[in-house]
Amino acid sequence: MTEGPRGAGSDGDVALRAALWGVSGFAIGYLLPGALRLPVLTYDPIGHAALLTAAPRGAQMRYYGDVLWACAAAAAAALLSRALRGRPLDVPVATAAALSCVALDLAWFLSRLLASLQ
Amino acid sequence: MIDPPAAGPVVFESVARPLLLVHAVVGFAAVGTATHFAAYAVIGALRGSTTAQLRRFSALAPAALAAQALLGFALYPTYRVRVRLGDLDRTAPAVAQLFDLKEHLAALALALVAAAAVATRAGAKGNLRTWAVAALSSSGATLVWAAAIIGLYVTARHPVGGP
Repeated sequence: MTEGPRGAGSDGDVALRAALWGVSGFAIGYLLPGALRLPVLTYDPIGHAALLTAAPRGAQMRYYGDVLWACAAAAAAALLSRALRGRPLDVPVATAAALSCVALDLAWFLSRLLASLQ
Repeated sequence: MIDPPAAGPVVFESVARPLLLVHAVVGFAAVGTATHFAAYAVIGALRGSTTAQLRRFSALAPAALAAQALLGFALYPTYRVRVRLGDLDRTAPAVAQLFDLKEHLAALALALVAAAAVATRAGAKGNLRTWAVAALSSSGATLVWAAAIIGLYVTARHPVGGP
């Protein structure tokens, strides 16, 4: 379903599509590196060193790398959405897809929390 | 494994306590602005239009959340070494996992609120479009609240910069 009297390629629609695709990209880019154990930029706060690893040890932190991956995926998805410029924006489907990606992340991270409690 | 108290200096550790206080104050601002943004987005969706307040909070909320994220990034190494490795991993691993969840909630909240702000400022009009903005901002505000409550709980247990 599409909606609105304005043209499909209006600035509002282009921005909304990019925003929704960006959220989806961010959620996917944030989830996959950890779930698939992909190497990410990791910071060692004790050794004061940055390294690329899939399995941080001790105090090594992969959070910065995960956020970088997510931002890159969000930017790529938002840019990709521009290729669809001119097509009608299916607002409910795009919104539901973006929120579903976020919900998938939440389910994954909650499952890890609950697993650690056992 | 390196004994955390014996580990050398950690980046920003010398200013961890004041940074934590600023993190708390900006956190209140982030919760407030994200909540207002969501409330005005829902009001706008009900009316089918945007308001001046919605546009104002579409700038304030992502700015507060971005500042909060940067402060969190700065505090994180000290937390990781002195709080997590030095205490929580041994005494309360579930709390450490809870803090991990808080980090994820905060990152996703920032993405949701930023996306809602972009759509608002670009002039998303029409019933479904304003409801899309309301859904994004409300979801973001919910995650911000959850992250804030978890952050307060973990800080009450063992604050960064404390003994």
